[in-house]
Amino acid sequence: MPTEVIMPKVDMDMASGTIMAWHAEAGQMVDAGDPLFDIETDKAAMEVEAPASGILHHLAPEGTKIAIGEPVAWLYAEGEEVGAPPSAAPAAEEVPAAPAPKEEAAPEPAHAAAIPAAEGLRATPRARGLAREGGIDLAAVAGTGPRGRIQAGDVAALLKASAAPAQGGALSITRAKGGTGTPVILLHGFASDAASWAPLEPALRHRPLIRIDLPGHGGSPTLPIPDFAALAALIRRTFTELDLARAHLVGHSLGGALALALADTRPRNIESLTLIAPAGLGPEIDGAALTGITRATRLESLAPWLRRLVHDETIVTDGYARAVMTARADPGLRAAQAGMAEALFPDGVQAFDLRAALARLQAPTRILWGRRDRIIPWRHALEAKGAVALHLFENIGHLPQIEAPEEIGKLLAAHL
Amino acid sequence: MNAENTPEVRTLSYAEAIREAMDIALAEDERVVLMGEDIGVYGGAFQVTGDLVEKYGETRVMDTPISELGGAGVAVGAALTGLRPIFEFQFSDFATLAMEQIVNQAAKLRYMLGGAVSVPVVMRFPAGSGTGAAAQHSQSLEAWLGHVPGLKVVQPSTPEDAKGLLLAALDDPDPVMIFEHKLLYKMQGPVPEGRYHTPIGKAAIRRVGSDLSIVATSIMAQKAIAAADELGKSGVEAEVIDLRTVRPMDRETVLASVRKTGRLLCVYEGVKTLGVGAEVSAMVAESDAFDFLDAPIVRLGGADAPIPYNPELEKAVVPQVPDIVEAAAALAQGRT
Repeated sequence: MPTEVIMPKVDMDMASGTIMAWHAEAGQMVDAGDPLFDIETDKAAMEVEAPASGILHHLAPEGTKIAIGEPVAWLYAEGEEVGAPPSAAPAAEEVPAAPAPKEEAAPEPAHAAAIPAAEGLRATPRARGLAREGGIDLAAVAGTGPRGRIQAGDVAALLKASAAPAQGGALSITRAKGGTGTPVILLHGFASDAASWAPLEPALRHRPLIRIDLPGHGGSPTLPIPDFAALAALIRRTFTELDLARAHLVGHSLGGALALALADTRPRNIESLTLIAPAGLGPEIDGAALTGITRATRLESLAPWLRRLVHDETIVTDGYARAVMTARADPGLRAAQAGMAEALFPDGVQAFDLRAALARLQAPTRILWGRRDRIIPWRHALEAKGAVALHLFENIGHLPQIEAPEEIGKLLAAHL
Repeated sequence: MNAENTPEVRTLSYAEAIREAMDIALAEDERVVLMGEDIGVYGGAFQVTGDLVEKYGETRVMDTPISELGGAGVAVGAALTGLRPIFEFQFSDFATLAMEQIVNQAAKLRYMLGGAVSVPVVMRFPAGSGTGAAAQHSQSLEAWLGHVPGLKVVQPSTPEDAKGLLLAALDDPDPVMIFEHKLLYKMQGPVPEGRYHTPIGKAAIRRVGSDLSIVATSIMAQKAIAAADELGKSGVEAEVIDLRTVRPMDRETVLASVRKTGRLLCVYEGVKTLGVGAEVSAMVAESDAFDFLDAPIVRLGGADAPIPYNPELEKAVVPQVPDIVEAAAALAQGRT
């Protein structure tokens, strides 16, 4: 019996997806997990993997729009006879624009589920307003009203649910195996996540590594972040709950600003501070890039902004960009980050100033910066006084830990 | 109300309160005259004018011939030439016969003559169903007249407002149409003594609530209060707004309530289609209060049908308390 390959549901409110490209041809053997085809929805473009191993047949043509759950191809075992597509309906059935009118108005449960999504989200004006204020994407809200309508109470419940854990244990914390001595806490930058430390981690493995995902990023829930102080307080609570006597802090960009704020308020617990292209040392920041990244719903709109992050744009390969887009496929996450960008960087300006904190630092501190950084000007590093070590890198952009992981890793390993 | 000396408050019926207002006006202002069919010796079709003819004589309380067009025309002309006539229709349904005088003359003359004149006429319309008077004597036509620029249209729902709105109407320089619900004439309620105004164009919040706003007119305001009390037992707190004036409508009171509750139920006896509730709904939908709506607006109005003679059917074609309870509960619980 051949295995059905279906159009997956990747967005909460997705009704159908368009096959953009097949990575395999009819008759080709594919393994489970191989990239099989690319789809595009209203909100995202993404790659779909083969659900099983087998020989690919009955492919829906590229460019076809297919309802979720409908087959797009079939995978046959070797030697299995390939006849007509197993389903009665043609595999590449077009999504009907509207259900055909019936002479008898019999209810049609099969259609009922699909119609709300096809018509767009049902939400009351008040619910929409609450969601806007709370930075919640309505697509992430389950409507309890008639026909799945989202009402104010549904949004309020979600806001409450996401606000509640903020009292403790809210943020996703992941740890690398192994390592001894004083742990290293890694704080990633805006619109990134803990996985972005991977290239740098081989150089730091001798220490226990603790990665924190910022709210609305990676594995952390969306939390209301009205301003930088609220975000810094959240990181401070998270640090307190880690219950560490001493820790090294490594922060990149926004994570650098948060590391600096944490070191300022918990000086006795901080062994050292490493700030990579940190925010908070001056007003300038590339607001267009922040907006561009948070708004991007597909590869084509995301990739140009990803290339701006680095100096050597060739390191932003299609595969890398696709991986980033896949990580950002959740519209709720994108909406949360857009809200956070608006709160932290209104009008494309860094609305928080940590220069005084920098001047007060007691822990040994290093600032690392690429001199080709197009997001935050490296000259902000010149705010550092006295004992702060400054490392500037030629031909490096805003992501030194990704652009030159070995060089950065060697430097960090010597001190941590 | 007079702030200097607090007037005594008695319990009067709605009809008595109207009669008292006319009595005060007749006594204080010799320009005031009453006109209408059988309002003299007979005392009016619903006994509202009562024995006023004995007190003020037939020059102040005038029986008019059985022609609404003729009587209304005399009243409009009298208003134009300096009197303050109160013209009573036997049934509001007979407004149809006097439309020329109401719509083309009373409402238009100030405009047509460049503001040189005004038409301070008051017309009283016994309206609504529930008396077994069948299709030609039971209608609620306030929306018809509410559609005419130049007219003010009020619908008192309590004895106090019936008196206060009539006295306010007499002091208004322009034509004011008062729709009195026939089933309310016997309603008892507190009425202050002496002269006072219930402001035209100002709604009354009859009951404060947080879960939904019920905007109702005339007898439906009373039914809405009863429904809200019933709903209160199950924890649904309805705010009841008695519109009191349908033209000009009290926009601010309605919008403020909807902003607070996020849910709007309009209840009115007139035919639902193109009725007062349609205007209230549109006013909310067009305003900033729209952003506060958490459910579709719901209207309960009269059926798209003539009022039947059969008493059970007569009840069935206009909203009743259980209908309001059901609609309000569904709305408040997010079931609509």
